Amino acid sequence: MSKGSLSKLIETLSERLLTERREYLATLIETSSSLILALLAGGIVLAVLGYDPLNVYNILFRYGFGNIRYLLDKSTPLMMTGLAFAIPLIAGLFNIGGESQLYIGAFIALLAAYYTHSHVIGILAGTIAGGLLGAFIGILRVYRGINEVISSIMVNWIFFYLIIYLISGVYYNPERPHESIPIPKDARIYPISNISVIFAIAVLASILYYIILFHTDIGYKMRVTGLSTASAKYAGFNPDLSMIYSMLLGGAAAGLGGALLVLGMTYSIDDMLSAVYGLGFTGIGIGLLGRLHPIGIILASIFFSGLLIGGQWVELKTGAPPELADTLIGVIVIALAIPYVYKLLVSRLIQRRVIE
Amino acid sequence: MSSSKLILSIVVILVILVGAGLYLYYQGFPGMGGGKKIKVAVLFDVGGRGDLSFNDMAYLGAERAEKELNVEVEYMTPKSLEDMIPLLKQLSESGEYDLLVLVGFLWTGPLNATADQYPNQKFALIDSTTGVVRPNEADILFREQECAALIGIIASGMAYELGGSTIGAVAGMDIPPLWKFHIGYLFGVKYFELKTGKPVNFLWQYTGTFTDTQVGYSTATQLLQQGAKVLYGLAGLTHVGMFNAIIDWNKQGKGKALAIGQDASQEWYAPEYIPVSGAKRVDVAVYHAIEMVVKNTWKGGIITLGLKEEGVGIWDEDGVKSFAELAYETKQLKDHTPDDVVSIVKQMRSKYIKGYVWDLVHELEQKIKNGEIAFKTPLTHDEYDQIIQQLMQGNLDAALEKGSIAS
Repeated sequence: MSKGSLSKLIETLSERLLTERREYLATLIETSSSLILALLAGGIVLAVLGYDPLNVYNILFRYGFGNIRYLLDKSTPLMMTGLAFAIPLIAGLFNIGGESQLYIGAFIALLAAYYTHSHVIGILAGTIAGGLLGAFIGILRVYRGINEVISSIMVNWIFFYLIIYLISGVYYNPERPHESIPIPKDARIYPISNISVIFAIAVLASILYYIILFHTDIGYKMRVTGLSTASAKYAGFNPDLSMIYSMLLGGAAAGLGGALLVLGMTYSIDDMLSAVYGLGFTGIGIGLLGRLHPIGIILASIFFSGLLIGGQWVELKTGAPPELADTLIGVIVIALAIPYVYKLLVSRLIQRRVIE
Repeated sequence: MSSSKLILSIVVILVILVGAGLYLYYQGFPGMGGGKKIKVAVLFDVGGRGDLSFNDMAYLGAERAEKELNVEVEYMTPKSLEDMIPLLKQLSESGEYDLLVLVGFLWTGPLNATADQYPNQKFALIDSTTGVVRPNEADILFREQECAALIGIIASGMAYELGGSTIGAVAGMDIPPLWKFHIGYLFGVKYFELKTGKPVNFLWQYTGTFTDTQVGYSTATQLLQQGAKVLYGLAGLTHVGMFNAIIDWNKQGKGKALAIGQDASQEWYAPEYIPVSGAKRVDVAVYHAIEMVVKNTWKGGIITLGLKEEGVGIWDEDGVKSFAELAYETKQLKDHTPDDVVSIVKQMRSKYIKGYVWDLVHELEQKIKNGEIAFKTPLTHDEYDQIIQQLMQGNLDAALEKGSIAS
C-alpha cells in the first residue's frame, strides 16, 4: 500500500469519526432535552391542576419500577407488539394490526393449551396464528395493492368481534360466563423462583429478531427494502417477498405476545377483551420509543410498563383521575419518540412518493 | 438508526431518571405514616369512573362512608385484566388497607387466585362471587328479583295507561343474573294480573350482548312492532339502543311507548320517555362492606342485599336528581337541567303510574321486606326454564322459595 493511499484512508476515517461524533452529540442533546422537557411540561400541568409534581413523579417512578416481577410480566406482551410494529416498518410497512394479531395469538394459544394441556403447543400455535394473520395483510398489500393500514384496521375490528363472539357464545367458562375457558393448571407458565419466565421468552425472541434483522440474509433484504424498494430490485432481490416476510415476523411477534399473556398472566380472556384490548396500539409507541431496534424495544417496553403501572398508583395515592396519569405518560413518551418519528416519517414518506 | 446511537439514548434516559429518582428518594416516601384511621381502597372496573353506573355508584357509596363512618378511602382503576392479580398482591402485601373493595365481576378470577394467600387482608367483591367461602372475603350480591317484581307491576300498569296490554324487556346475555331479573319481572306481571284481573301480554328477548346499542335498537323496535307499550332495559349499553328506539318510536308518531331503566337511575337520558328505573345500589353495597369493617361485624361468604337492605328498589326523586347531576357535570345531560329532569319525571310518574298500581307495589314490597315471601335463585338453566314455564301458567308460588301468594 502506498503512503498516499494510507494517509487518505486515515483522513477519511477521522473525517467519519468527526461527523459521527457530531451525530452522537446531536442524539445526546436530543434525547436528554426531550426527557427534561417532557418532565417539565408534565410538572407544569400537574402544578396548574393543584398536584405536587415531585410527589406525583415520585409515586409514578417508585411504584412503577418497584415491583420487578409485575414490571417484567407487564412489559412482555408490550415488547412483542412493539416488535410487531417495528419489524414491518423496517421493511417499509405500517403494521397497525398488532392488535388483532395479538388477539388471535392469545385466543389460539388458549384453545391449543386447553385441548392439549401443553404450553409449548400453546406458544407455537399462538405464534403461528399471529404470523399468518400478519402475512395475510402483507399479501393483500403486495399482490392486491391494498394499503396495509386500512386493511389491518379492518382486520382488527373483525377479529375483535369474532373473538368476543367465540368467547361469549362458544368457549365460555360455565362457572363464570364472562370468562373464556381457562388455561388448564398444567399448561400455565409459572415464574421460576420469582423470575418471570414469559419475560425471559420474550427477551429471547427479541434477541432472535435482532439476529434475523442484522445478521441474516432475510434481515438484510428487509432493511434494504425498507430503505429503497428500487435498490432492492436493482440488487436482485424481491422486495415483495421481504415485505411479506416482515409482516409474517411482525405478526408472529404479536401472536407470541398474546400467547405469553394468556399462558403466563391472565389464564383466560374475558368476553369484553379487556385483557388484550389496546396492547397492539401501545406497541406502536413502544416500537417508536425503542427506535425500531429489537434491543431498544426491550428497554422501551420495560420503561413504558413502569409508567403504566405507576400511573395506577398515582390515582390511588394522590386522588388524581387516571386520565391525568395517562396524559403524563403520553407527554413523556411522545417527547421521547417525536424527534425520531419525525425523521422517520419524512424519510419514509419521501421514499414512498418517489416510488408511487 | 445505529446501535451505538440507540445505546447512547438509553444511557441518557437512564442517567436522568436515576438522578431524578435519587433526588426524590431523599425527599422521603409518599403516602406513608398517618393516624390509625381505617383505610379502604376501592378498586374500580377496567373502565373506571364516568360510566354513570357501576363505578360511579361505587364512588358515591365510598364517599358517603368517608363522611359518615370517618374512614379514609383511596381509589384505583386497573389498566387491564392482567394488572388485577399483581395489584391485589401488592396492595395486600402492603398491609396498609383494612379493606379492599373490588367493583365488578372482572375481579372474580383475580380475587379467587389471590384471596387464599392473604388471610389477613379483607376483600369485598361487589356483584359477583368466586363461589368459594373464605373468612376474609365477602361477596356482595343483589336480590334482583325483588326490584324486577316491583318493576313488573309498574310496567303492567303503565301499559294500560298507554292503551295497551303488552310489555317487554330487552335483556343482555342468557346468564344467571339475567335469569333472576326474568323471574322477578314476570312474577310482578302475574301479580298484577292476579290482583287486578287485567291480562298482560309478556315479551322477553335476549340480545346476547351488553355492549351493542345497534342490536338493542333493532330488538326494541321489533318488540314495539309486536305491540309492546313498555320496555324494560336489562342489557347495559345495549339497552341505551332500546332507549333510542323508544324515543324515535314516539317522535316518529308510530305510537306512545315508555322505557324503564335499570341499575343506575337512567331517567335523565330521556325523562319524557323513561319515567322510572330499577335500582341496583352498588353504592349501598360498598357502604355496607365498609360499615362491616368499621363496626366490627365483618362476615365472610355471600351476602345478599334486597329491598329490606335498600340494596335494590326503585329510584326515588333524590336518586334521579343525583344521577341527573352526575350526567350534567360530565356534560352528558344537555337539553335539561337536573331540576327539569326531576320535575318531568314527577309529572310522568303521576300521569302513567296510578294510585292502584303504587298500592300493589307497596303491598308486594311489604311482603318481601317482612320476609313473608322470598324468591328462588335458579342454579341451572333447566330450573330457570321450569320456573318461567310455571309462572307463565299463573303459578306464582313457583318463583318463591318461601311463603306463598294466595289470591
